[in-house]
Amino acid sequence: MSDKKKPEGLDRRGFLRAMGAGAAVTAAVPLTATEAQAMKPPGDEGKARYRESEHVKTFYKVNRY
Amino acid sequence: MARVKFLCDGDRCIECNACVTACKNENEVPWGINRRRVVTINDGKPGERSISMACMHCTDAPCKAVCPVDCFFTTADGVVLHSKDLCIGCGYCFYACPFGAPQYPRVGNFGSRGKMDKCTYCAGGPEADLTMAEYEKYGANRLAEGKLPLCAEMCSTKALLAGDGEIIAQIYKERVVKRGYGSGAWGWKTAYREGIDV
Repeated sequence: MSDKKKPEGLDRRGFLRAMGAGAAVTAAVPLTATEAQAMKPPGDEGKARYRESEHVKTFYKVNRY
Repeated sequence: MARVKFLCDGDRCIECNACVTACKNENEVPWGINRRRVVTINDGKPGERSISMACMHCTDAPCKAVCPVDCFFTTADGVVLHSKDLCIGCGYCFYACPFGAPQYPRVGNFGSRGKMDKCTYCAGGPEADLTMAEYEKYGANRLAEGKLPLCAEMCSTKALLAGDGEIIAQIYKERVVKRGYGSGAWGWKTAYREGIDV
């Protein structure tokens, strides 16, 4: 039992240690690399959609009857 | 810049509910939701009146004021729209709106709510105009096509007016001046018995 060979590669403790270091690096990156962003990027969503087309003018005309 | 509005002529509405049906069909409104509905007072009695109601696209919209995620926005022509991507379905706008415009689809059991749905004045949503994404979430964007909301366009008695607020107010004023009001209106005593004053 004592002379059992250890499997090659990362053992359990080594793996967890490596994962912890990786997570720390990942957590640190956004703090330094990204800038604050508005929740809604400015767009043309508030633009006017109505226009007085011929179709609309006809609607006004027939509603005067 | 035009300020678009709805105006329902209570003397002309015959409670046919065609506006409700047209809206549901044009915008593929989900089951259990009516973006527009017809309200009748004094039903079956002298003086009965019906009026077609939907989102009134308020200037100082209470729904917009109470939204915790700020998903409402008002377009330059005065249409109050919202983003279904931001909506969390909290229901605050439903309680704030005096007209009962915001509606919620039932997405599951135990009272769970989906994204709020309301009248868009047939103006789509924050997505790009006339795209499939916009249509799936908000329905038709007839304003971008140079048209007006279908409910108003297909009203058989022309009771429901939509468009530039100043123009439709002028149309309504002309009607009132021409027809008189109530029992003084032309044809009133032919259509109804004499002696009914409203």
